Amino acid sequence: MAKLTLQIDGKTIETESGRTILEVCKENDIHILTMCHLKGITDVGACRLCLVEIEGVSKLLSACTTKIADKMVVRTDTEKIKRYQRITTELFAAERNHVCSVCIANGHCELQKLAYDVKMDHIRYPYLFPQCEVDTSHPLYVLDHNRCIVCTRCVRVCAEVEGAYNWDVMNRGTNVRVISDFNTPWGESVTCTDCGKCVEACPTGALWPKAVVQGQLNKAPQMISELIEKRKMKL
Amino acid sequence: MDNSNKKQIVISPVTRIEGHAKISLQMDDSGQVTDARFHVNEFRGFEKFCEGRLYTEMPVISARICGICPVSHAISSVKACEMIQGVEPTYAGNLLRRLMHVGQNISSHALAFFHLSSPDLLLGYDSDPAKRNILGIAEKYRDVAIRGIRLRKFGQEISERITGKKIHAMGIAPGGIAFPLTEENRLALLNWIPEAKETIHIGINIIKKFHDENEAMVKSFSPTPTLYLGTVGSGGQHELYDGKLRFVDADGVILQDHVEPKRYLEFIAERSVNWSYLKSPYYKPYGFEKGIYRVGPLARLNVASRMKTPEAQVEFEQFKKINNSKPVHGTFYFHYARLIEALSGIEEAEIILNDKLITDKHVQHFARWNNHVGIGCSEAPRGTLFHHYITENTGKIKKVNLLIATGQNNPAMNRSILDVAQQYIHGDKIEEGMLNRVESAIRCYDPCLSCSTHAMGDMPFMVELVNAEGKILKRIARDN
Repeated sequence: MAKLTLQIDGKTIETESGRTILEVCKENDIHILTMCHLKGITDVGACRLCLVEIEGVSKLLSACTTKIADKMVVRTDTEKIKRYQRITTELFAAERNHVCSVCIANGHCELQKLAYDVKMDHIRYPYLFPQCEVDTSHPLYVLDHNRCIVCTRCVRVCAEVEGAYNWDVMNRGTNVRVISDFNTPWGESVTCTDCGKCVEACPTGALWPKAVVQGQLNKAPQMISELIEKRKMKL
Repeated sequence: MDNSNKKQIVISPVTRIEGHAKISLQMDDSGQVTDARFHVNEFRGFEKFCEGRLYTEMPVISARICGICPVSHAISSVKACEMIQGVEPTYAGNLLRRLMHVGQNISSHALAFFHLSSPDLLLGYDSDPAKRNILGIAEKYRDVAIRGIRLRKFGQEISERITGKKIHAMGIAPGGIAFPLTEENRLALLNWIPEAKETIHIGINIIKKFHDENEAMVKSFSPTPTLYLGTVGSGGQHELYDGKLRFVDADGVILQDHVEPKRYLEFIAERSVNWSYLKSPYYKPYGFEKGIYRVGPLARLNVASRMKTPEAQVEFEQFKKINNSKPVHGTFYFHYARLIEALSGIEEAEIILNDKLITDKHVQHFARWNNHVGIGCSEAPRGTLFHHYITENTGKIKKVNLLIATGQNNPAMNRSILDVAQQYIHGDKIEEGMLNRVESAIRCYDPCLSCSTHAMGDMPFMVELVNAEGKILKRIARDN
């Protein structure tokens, strides 16, 4: 691979081409907020939290899907980026029905942690309060659309790691929903293997095991990344 | 109806209670109180928005009904969940839940007595309203205020030491509890016991002194007889966490005994009224007019045959002497009953904390959805609390019915206000102290309106258009 040199937040970095800005940042201990990113599975730039400024580019680009280029000058910590991250987080909170106090993931939620990270002390947008279904049909797990931020980590993990292709996405805009098979109850799925990787990958309380109550949830999304690495090993 | 010749006194908001309410008193031309109503004007809607959730979420969601008695809601709820699953909690898990429940009762009773009611008792009903509160107590009776605050802290610390949270604890789960108690935390809680006992005895001395110095007032403070409902253990002993229901009549005759809580609907019916969000339950066999019953500390002591712990038993025997072993009807005795319960709770906490298995790690059994219906019951600080869930096949909640202690006391509270208002308010000259006595009739019940206004649906509603003279020009009513 060809070597190239770029600058991120004033730091000169020499690395190999073909990598994303997010990968390079992580390798160089430059912190970038993420939500839809999960190491090992395909990045889709859905959450818009990892936006960065690139010199000469008029709009903000997502670090997880933008490849590095030679002599690229990247900023990850500008006031504009922080403002956008705060707006994005507020919109997550306003779009569906996120009530941390009664959520299964309270204290173990990536969205909740994000809200702290961006110092979200209030929400400036009107809550939509959509009527969302809670799918309790699966014998082991629950899907609560109220808490889904459509990061699609579940969709990608199911397809790329488990290979079951149970999850997909339907509709657009605020009507977008993660669906099981052809929008049938999860418990009636013919593709789901009950493996639970989607539950581990989910950053919020949208997917959770029926066996736990608030305070007992302890998801391990990094386990998915480790699994992918282990599968690459030729022993 | 022409109300132009009537006068109305409105006390709004009612102070030093949990929640928002007002009292309206109707007076005739001669200045005599003819009717009194306790209006609860806050609205929650838990029964409705819990529909569609998974039943195992209910202990956490319903605990948010109240910041004073979240453990009672969680316990009633988790018992309903256990009935749905057909599972029993583990020994240690059950014991820890009982300890948390006892702790919450201590904390709530400390709040009711030291923070909310002691200002009336120690500073006087007619004292300056601006100082008639816990800060006024701190100014004049510093030790009492600090001790009261610390007793409340002890109750909350039990929850914190078990679950990591003082209020709205996590981890109360079907089959037990999520977290075991560490030895360090067990010892830390045991250290509290001597101080807590001393404080509650100070409280008991305060109320007894008040009884002695104000005998006529205490005895005549809304002594209207009612029925009583409470939970008792297998030997008829006082019980807060587990047990069966007992109804007694005004003479102490046991009407129903050892009734399984899941049969509550056979004995309790509810009626809505058009001037309050609070429903009016009654003892079904006697009908709405004659079936007024009370729950809470006074009721529990009236239905119990004995207390479980020695020091509380001594006080219980003195309590029983007030009305020659018959039920004590005087509403003022709620305070005394509350303190006896708190003493019993502290003693019980000590016994539980000395149980060899309290720090056992096996705190939870696991099971799945098995039954459609779950009914759970516990004695919340304010009285018997029922959670009733109906679920679909996958465990999704289809219907929720919550029967809350304050709601069950609602008809009796209205009667008590009327009693006290008729006793203290006459003619045009109305002083603030008189109104405070009317409010204090409500405070005796220590009502929690946040808890009790959970319903939604067939709520009767009335809009009145009133002219400057107070004449009702138009009334639009929606009754159920």
